[in-house]
Amino acid sequence: MIIRAGNQGLGNLKVMSKLFIKNDIQSLFLLVFLFTILGGQPYLFADEEHEEVKTTAQPDSETLPNDDLAAGEMIYKKRCISCHGDEGDGDGPAADRFQPKPRSFKKAEFKYRTTPRNSLPTDDDLFRVISNGLPGTGMPDWADVLTKKQRRQVIKYIKTFSDKWEKQADRASALKIGEPVPTSEESIERGKKKFTALGCTLCHGAEGRGDGPTSLVLRNHRGDSVYPRNLNKNWLFRGGGEAKDIYTRINTGINGTPMPSFADKLNNEESWDVANYVRSLSPTPNPERGSLIKPLSIEEGIPTDPEDPLWDQAPSSWFPMMGQISFEERLFTPTVTDITVKSLYNDKEIGFKLIWDDRSSSKASKPSAKKKIYTDQVAIQFPEKLQPGGVKKPYFIMGDEKLGVNLWNWQSDGNQVFETTANGILNGEVKKSESNVKGSGRFKNGQYQVVMKRSLQTSDKEKDIQFEIGSFYPIAFFAMDGTNGEVASKRSITPWYFVLMEPETPKSVYILPPVVIIFVFGVEFVLVKLLKKNKKASSSS
Amino acid sequence: MKLPLIAKAFALELGFYLLLKLGMPLITSPLPSSVIFMYMTLVTISILLYVSIFEDDFGNFYIPIVDFIRGDDNESGLRKLSRIAVFILIPLFFGFRSYQSVLPNFNPPFPQRVIHPAPPGSAAGFTNPFGDDEANHEQYIEEGREVFYKNCVFCHGDKLDGKGFFAHALNVKPANFADATTISMLMESFVFWRIKTGGIGLPEESTPWDSAMPRWELILSEEERWKVIMFLYDYTGWKPRTWELEGDE
Repeated sequence: MIIRAGNQGLGNLKVMSKLFIKNDIQSLFLLVFLFTILGGQPYLFADEEHEEVKTTAQPDSETLPNDDLAAGEMIYKKRCISCHGDEGDGDGPAADRFQPKPRSFKKAEFKYRTTPRNSLPTDDDLFRVISNGLPGTGMPDWADVLTKKQRRQVIKYIKTFSDKWEKQADRASALKIGEPVPTSEESIERGKKKFTALGCTLCHGAEGRGDGPTSLVLRNHRGDSVYPRNLNKNWLFRGGGEAKDIYTRINTGINGTPMPSFADKLNNEESWDVANYVRSLSPTPNPERGSLIKPLSIEEGIPTDPEDPLWDQAPSSWFPMMGQISFEERLFTPTVTDITVKSLYNDKEIGFKLIWDDRSSSKASKPSAKKKIYTDQVAIQFPEKLQPGGVKKPYFIMGDEKLGVNLWNWQSDGNQVFETTANGILNGEVKKSESNVKGSGRFKNGQYQVVMKRSLQTSDKEKDIQFEIGSFYPIAFFAMDGTNGEVASKRSITPWYFVLMEPETPKSVYILPPVVIIFVFGVEFVLVKLLKKNKKASSSS
Repeated sequence: MKLPLIAKAFALELGFYLLLKLGMPLITSPLPSSVIFMYMTLVTISILLYVSIFEDDFGNFYIPIVDFIRGDDNESGLRKLSRIAVFILIPLFFGFRSYQSVLPNFNPPFPQRVIHPAPPGSAAGFTNPFGDDEANHEQYIEEGREVFYKNCVFCHGDKLDGKGFFAHALNVKPANFADATTISMLMESFVFWRIKTGGIGLPEESTPWDSAMPRWELILSEEERWKVIMFLYDYTGWKPRTWELEGDE
């Protein structure tokens, strides 16, 4: 039964909409549209992920002079000077704290070119570097801030720092890239052979982690120490990580560094083979940052040997790392860029396997040594205690005065595991006299693999985190490369993440759905019966 | 061709769902399922309102539904088949939904983080000692630039956009000073307090334990901190919020 009077207003609306739109479906659509627009509007703009970035209040284009060189100079003085310096010699205020150092435009030695080794880059090369930046360095991508015209203007200006640009001898045209050889097992295999035969492994290492025998003694034209690239992380290749970029690098070399050009040693196919091989060393797709570590439940004991095949079954989580720059002494140039974590648990223990790259396994130097070298270290950080509600945590860099952290440490010197507690990095770490953590590490071809494990519960309820299945535990990681002078507060760090041992699926999951299905089916059955009965009744009457 | 009202209503319902689910991601980021559900509820309610305004229309709308459910002894094979299919699919759908709802779903404790918290009393009353010194203004900005590129650039970035060299490793992303929602809507004294006491000095609603912002009073002098603030505003072109401006609003 429908009450007509009560709907008069809406009925009018319907009639009104029919004045404009004769078609039933169209007026229906209009009504629905109006409803949803009015009703749902606030939610349309509630998306926090989608933020509009306004790069600056005043775009450069409004204040720049017309003359290209003068405009280039103004852009340079605003955007580039802090690293590349007033005079373009790469010694701006930021220069000391970056590794690699900013380019000197006075020396005009450019690393990432498409031109033969020791020659100047093309304008397009410079344009590409300014637009895309150099991954893994302080050079950002300027494409969102500078227009194409502005990028050309600044190129014009940086050329004024060196007279090399006027000498024709240093100019060269871009390398011609031959017919590509698509990647395949055969190509990669041929490339690998060539890679070894050419001596690439001397610097880049047997598995390409930049850990070859010469890797720690290489120097650039300034006399600064330089590391060969770790070829297993193509997202950090300065000149681009795809096969075509690698092809270019092999055939142009990197000016001012020991990286030669192989243009006279490799033909087109061989260049592609080596490029395909190098590309194959990095994962496709590149790893994505994890957030929650879910240990795998096993029946067996947790293996302390990192090479035990049981670890292969555990899923991997990948976490990028940064230098600790919140407290003195700070680490601006870490060498450990990321860490991979696997975890296993059983009813008694939980274990973690940490995997990260380091060019050398270092032992602490004697106190009298000229260049200080420290032991390599890694640590897993937990809060000492879980806070009620689980939101509040100790400060992520080694806790704070109120809330302490518990660290499971491993050091390369002596392959030792030890536990510490800390209440803030400035207050230092305290070694625990008794440790329940067991583990061991291996170093092979520029990579560490370390396992640490502990029983889920311990007797020290004050200083040790107590693990229970189904709870979220904050977890963070530290790594120190002793060869890079990393010790104490100088370390690579991660923010807090979570680890969760998932409980078994409860039985109710398999009981409730069938009950619901049977119930709904029953309702349907009754409904049909009722309707049929009604019809019979109405037709017979 | 004149479609029956129920077919139109069904087509509209489906069309809206596809628009929200597949169409919207083309224009903006995908809508969360809760928003889609809310929209679809509105769509359904408005369709039901529309069809129930006049008695005739409502009859047209619901009689075919009743007929379909009831079935007929001499109905066609296809109709019978679709009827059975619907009767099987509906309980399965509810069964699946109940499975989803009882399946344990683990979400880490996630605080609603306040980005610009109310500052404590101690944060008020900081004034820039160089603010009135017009003669040396450029010099202070230059010194502030040096402080920024030696200390802040690693997280807040060359472009002051919060995308520094280390930013990708952090969970609480460094502030983007170029964006209109950071320093442009804050007062200088607030910015000074944030720099002075850092992430660890934040109140609890701003999750101090997750912020990598150093407590700069341990590293930089008070003068350096004021100069870097002057540089931030100069580089981005924003003006700090002031009491006078508040009065105008």
